[in-house]
Amino acid sequence: MNDPVTIQTRKFRTSRLLQRKQVIVDVLHPGKATAPKTEIREKLAKMYKTTPDVIFVFGFRTHFGGGKTTGFGMIFGSLDYVKKNEPKHRLPGHGLYEKKKTSRKQRKEHKNRMKKVRGAANVGAGKKSE
Amino acid sequence: MAAPGVLESDFSSAVTLLKNLQEQVMAVTAHVQALTKRVQAGAYPTEKGLSFLEVKDQLLLMYLMDLSHLILNKASGGSLQGHAAVLRLVEIRTVLEKLRPLDQKLKYQIDKLVKTAVTGSLSENDPLRFKPHPSNMMSKLSSDEEEEGEAEDGQSEASGKKSTKSKKYVPPRLVPVHYDETEAEREKKRLERAKRRALSSSVIRELKEQYSDAPEEIRDARHPHVTRQSQEDQHRINYEESMMVRLSVSKREKGRRKRAHVMSSQLHSLTHFSDISALTGGAAHLDEDQNPIKKRKKILKKGRKKKGFRRRR
Repeated sequence: MNDPVTIQTRKFRTSRLLQRKQVIVDVLHPGKATAPKTEIREKLAKMYKTTPDVIFVFGFRTHFGGGKTTGFGMIFGSLDYVKKNEPKHRLPGHGLYEKKKTSRKQRKEHKNRMKKVRGAANVGAGKKSE
Repeated sequence: MAAPGVLESDFSSAVTLLKNLQEQVMAVTAHVQALTKRVQAGAYPTEKGLSFLEVKDQLLLMYLMDLSHLILNKASGGSLQGHAAVLRLVEIRTVLEKLRPLDQKLKYQIDKLVKTAVTGSLSENDPLRFKPHPSNMMSKLSSDEEEEGEAEDGQSEASGKKSTKSKKYVPPRLVPVHYDETEAEREKKRLERAKRRALSSSVIRELKEQYSDAPEEIRDARHPHVTRQSQEDQHRINYEESMMVRLSVSKREKGRRKRAHVMSSQLHSLTHFSDISALTGGAAHLDEDQNPIKKRKKILKKGRKKKGFRRRR
């Protein structure tokens, strides 16, 4: 715990169309494993004076030999903009999105059962009661 | 009734004016008579001349005739009211005024013609011709390259280097230079290049840093000895950072990277530094990373016919 984790940012860019700021994040962690994303988000929040829940970081790759990791970060204007502009696969990490849990097999079986039945009255007919 | 003093002063000025008039009329009559004689003798043939100028001549003559008729009438005390000549004069005057812009447009040509008539004809190569020559627009470079020496400033520049023919693009042939590089010169060039490479090697750079007082710079600089793999890596990194995406690495790419990495991270390369014999004057020994590239090229050439699409390497 001698050396703290240092964060440097590069290539700062403001994207007005998507109401966010884009930045490349360099994390220096000599002698330790790569810092977790939550820690990096908190440090970035302190740097840019926002709350950590509008900050999204991804794409971290550690350079050979350890000690330095590079990734991308996005700082949004507000949570509304986050819900509008951020891709859905990154939202569950912040608890903003719940994916449906039906498996692919189940969906296909349901579809095939519905093929045998016709008409609006048979809406609930294909569902197996398991 | 006007005062007799005024009449007298008028009288004297009138007498002088009349005398002037008489002299001028005599001069004009003599001039006109000479001209008439020459025209009748056929000294001014106008068949091949500008018809515009002939029309103008005729109109001016008619105008003069009508004017002199009216003056005669007025001088003998008649009135000009409703005279047919007045209408004719007005008509001719209108036509002359309409001809004036045409006259302006032809002014340049007429002046040129007059100059030619006075000073003799122009030479064939005079760039100031009377009509445009589309044949001058075509490039004469396709046939002969010696014609570039001709100093035809205006038109040969306009003809340009583009050929108007619809052939495929032929790149310009550069002037060939005689190759007479001797063995000694080649050696010198090779030595120069080796010296430059040695100066940028890590040994020399560390020596510089050790003895210079300047602060140590940590730069995101490119490796002085770039290999193809490191260039590709750099390209990939630039793309990823500008697009904010992570690209996937195919198996082939992984293999290449591993090979390049192994080559540069073998333990014996710890003691193997780049060749600085160019600066120290010793015997040169070959670098490790020079040979494999040549070998690789040969192998690829053999296998190219087998596989359809092969990435350029």
